[in-house]
Amino acid sequence: MVEHIEYFISIWPELFKGLVVSLQLSAGALLLGLVIGLPMALMRTYGKGIVKALAVAYIELIRGTPMIVQLFLIYYGLPDLGILLDRIPAAIVALGINSSAYQAEYFRGAILSIDEGQGMAAQALGMTKQQAILYIILPQALRLVIPPWSNEVIYMVKYTSVAFLIAVPELMARGKMIISETFKPLETLFWVGVIYIVVLSIIAKIVDLIERKLAIPGFQMIRED
Amino acid sequence: MAKPILRVENVYKKFKDTEVLKGLSLTVYEGEVVVIIGPSGTGKSTLLRCINRLTEPDSGDIYLEEQKIEPGKSNLSYIRQQIGMVFQDFNLFNHLTALQNVAVGPIKVKKMEKNKAMELAMKELERVGMAEKAGNYPAELSGGQKQRVAIARALAMDPKIMLFDEPTSALDPELIGEVLEVMKDLANAGMTMMVVSHEMGFAREAADRIVFLEDGVVAEMGSPEKIFNNPEKERTREFISKIARLNNGCKDQEVL
Repeated sequence: MVEHIEYFISIWPELFKGLVVSLQLSAGALLLGLVIGLPMALMRTYGKGIVKALAVAYIELIRGTPMIVQLFLIYYGLPDLGILLDRIPAAIVALGINSSAYQAEYFRGAILSIDEGQGMAAQALGMTKQQAILYIILPQALRLVIPPWSNEVIYMVKYTSVAFLIAVPELMARGKMIISETFKPLETLFWVGVIYIVVLSIIAKIVDLIERKLAIPGFQMIRED
Repeated sequence: MAKPILRVENVYKKFKDTEVLKGLSLTVYEGEVVVIIGPSGTGKSTLLRCINRLTEPDSGDIYLEEQKIEPGKSNLSYIRQQIGMVFQDFNLFNHLTALQNVAVGPIKVKKMEKNKAMELAMKELERVGMAEKAGNYPAELSGGQKQRVAIARALAMDPKIMLFDEPTSALDPELIGEVLEVMKDLANAGMTMMVVSHEMGFAREAADRIVFLEDGVVAEMGSPEKIFNNPEKERTREFISKIARLNNGCKDQEVL
């Protein structure tokens, strides 16, 4: 037991650096996914004609192709078009674009679940459609989207591990490097897994707290406990 | 003659293959309370929604005072501000407190200063007897309380006319009274009102005119006395007696 702990202590500094990179990738990709995903959801929900078609095409294209293909396209493919991204930015862009399609669908689902009477009442007061969306529908939809969105956070932290395929030194990649030096795959991967679990539990707790903080009587999806 | 506030002229509206409004015309005068009755499916709600363009009529003209209400014009928002609307299912904004529900229109639409809007909202809540619940969210209010807040929300825009779309139909019987009280107070205060409702007691007491809508047009209209006691048309008489029986039926049940 003691030697396992000692082994962990010896590899922790390396793994910690990887964890920091993983979290940076996650935060960057989630943010990018949000910045692209929310407008896509609005375009798909409220847009007409070409605007809506563009959003649908984007979402289905991204959701319909494997993330590794997207990652390789951006890292190995884009240089052919003269766009050269470093490893970490390339990983953030790939993960972010992938996430944006899923986030768009979460947002769209939440927007559609808001009773249409809400928008009608807002317009009856004299709000424009844009005002009704901005002040009445989105504040409600964004609260409803927190539970599915927290799933996306957790997926994202785990998915960043694919970035090791383009040699981004994230948690998984650090683990691989350690294995090639120590030849202890089982113990190393065990500790990598433990770190993922601990970090994801903490993130889940934080999201839960945010959800409670924003909850409105009669309007939350959290269980009463 | 009082001046006309709202003029509906020859309005048609078709949903798919069903023609709901078939050339309906109606004028509402300042300070008048018009109660609209009629069988379900005759276009009562559609008429109200066509007035503030929540539903787009196929043809016909609608005027608020001298302003023509038209779609796609920048003045539509301005006109809607002057037409208060109260819905059957309240449609309070779920993420806002009662006070915020009332204040949001003045703040966002009229660009009123926040403090002033909150003050105004409080005054309107007092008017409907809901000041104590100002900090509550819609989910914490009863149906009757929600509807009173919804009325205050419409009043806060200082409308020229209030449209009520079956304001008590979604309420439990014991909650109907408090909403009707508020509406009667409004009527007594001189508000111009157009009310779709089958509350015969309210119609008798508060209405200046009853409009019997059937088959997409005004079948008959007149004072409550005339419509209740001496309707010209057999159809009106039938409908009134059916509604009266229903109302009485409800009361009998309550006694039992």
